[in-house]
Amino acid sequence: MMPPLVLRLNMEKADGRRLRLWLPLFVLWLVALPFVLVSLPVVLLILALLGRKPFAVAAAYWRLFTALPGSSLAARGRGVWFHLELI
Amino acid sequence: MSENRKRILDLLAQGRVTADEAERLLAALESTDRQGSSATAAAEAKYLRVQIEADDKDGGETRAKVNIRVPLRLLKAGVRLASLLPPEARDQMNAALREKGVGLDIDRIKPENLDELIRNLNDVSIDVASRQGRRATIRVFCE
Repeated sequence: MMPPLVLRLNMEKADGRRLRLWLPLFVLWLVALPFVLVSLPVVLLILALLGRKPFAVAAAYWRLFTALPGSSLAARGRGVWFHLELI
Repeated sequence: MSENRKRILDLLAQGRVTADEAERLLAALESTDRQGSSATAAAEAKYLRVQIEADDKDGGETRAKVNIRVPLRLLKAGVRLASLLPPEARDQMNAALREKGVGLDIDRIKPENLDELIRNLNDVSIDVASRQGRRATIRVFCE
């Protein structure tokens, strides 16, 4: 179970101009990791105080996050085509 | 020929079952096989795909096309997360949905219901026509 590592964006216009973009999301996760590690106990504590199941909620969000790879959206119309994909 | 089918035909040849009974047994066997293969396909499916093809604004031959692929794991994770929502939030969501004319009860969406939906969602195709004469086709299937 891995979070999305790369966001791939392809765009093409009717005149042939193309844009291909690979966004390395893993860099973003590496930057965000220390903040998550610091804030996670606080969030879990707040959830526990609110009477929620903190670990079940955290696990559900993690599952959602790691299920994102493979998602894709492609659209074509009016001389433009684009494709967005999480890898 | 499968082993079970052969056995039924043997029983018929031996005169231990009538032709009607053999036909019923074969039909039941086929139905079980179909259910089995559909369940296997559902278990193997990894993505929910939604394809939309619609007439472009200008009409004519150009067709706008949208293709969305959603991992089934994401849907299942979303359903699990929905089950962890606090009751008051679910009530608010249900009320908002009802207000918009959607008779959907969030409390009744369970992961097992989603499995059943995927099993039955072989290939759904919806044709939509607007008052202006524009047409769209929506296909939903698992792959």
